[in-house]
Amino acid sequence: MATKNSRTFDFKDIESLEVFMTSHGKIHPAKRTGLRAREQRRLKRAIKYARFLALIPFTS
Amino acid sequence: MTEHKHIYQAMFLLDNEEVRKGFNASRDWVKTTLEKYGIDVKVLRLWGERQLAYPIGGRKRATYLLGWLEASGDAVNEVKRELYLLGPVFRCLFLQEDSIPEEELATGIQEIADSEVIIPEEVEEVEEVEEPYEEPYEEPEEEQRATEEPAEGEKSEEGEKAEGDKPEEKSEKPVADAAGDNSEEVKKDGN
Repeated sequence: MATKNSRTFDFKDIESLEVFMTSHGKIHPAKRTGLRAREQRRLKRAIKYARFLALIPFTS
Repeated sequence: MTEHKHIYQAMFLLDNEEVRKGFNASRDWVKTTLEKYGIDVKVLRLWGERQLAYPIGGRKRATYLLGWLEASGDAVNEVKRELYLLGPVFRCLFLQEDSIPEEELATGIQEIADSEVIIPEEVEEVEEVEEPYEEPYEEPEEEQRATEEPAEGEKSEEGEKAEGDKPEEKSEKPVADAAGDNSEEVKKDGN
């Protein structure tokens, strides 16, 4: 359950996911995204779902 | 034993070749297949038609169908097997969610006229064959020299010809005599 301040990610919202990715399609580390561990895990999952559905590339 | 039902968000990727025949037919096939396994389809709507980030089975574009379902875990596993074997679905994703958003519930089973679903033709990209770069032909330096400067044998012949053209007086005078003449002149200057 997402708390008040924690951030959630939707795999369908490609534009917001691409902010946290490099131009080659890699996920930025938490150090760079500034997300908490739980949020970073949510981001990772959303990106992986989007990749599976061919919404974003695995690599480029 | 009663199976506990969960709420799932599902995304189906439909083959454009099948959707061209009729979007509603493809959507209905997905709906009936889901219902066959006891899944309660709350929402099923067109999410979009777009280019794939990477080709899947030779397909470069696909139609995305979004659904919100109420189903048991076993039913989801079984229906996945059938979806991949038959019909227009070539990829699907089921995610367990807490609740269905109200905006989605308002959509319900979306009815769209087939003519409204416009699917562009997949244009096969013709690979441009690059012609190999050919350097302009340049004659080798030796040949160029040969054209500019004649060979030694030719040169001597030409030299002879040139000498033949020269007046006879110069040719008759020996080199040594000419030097002697000059020495005499120097002596005269010194006196």
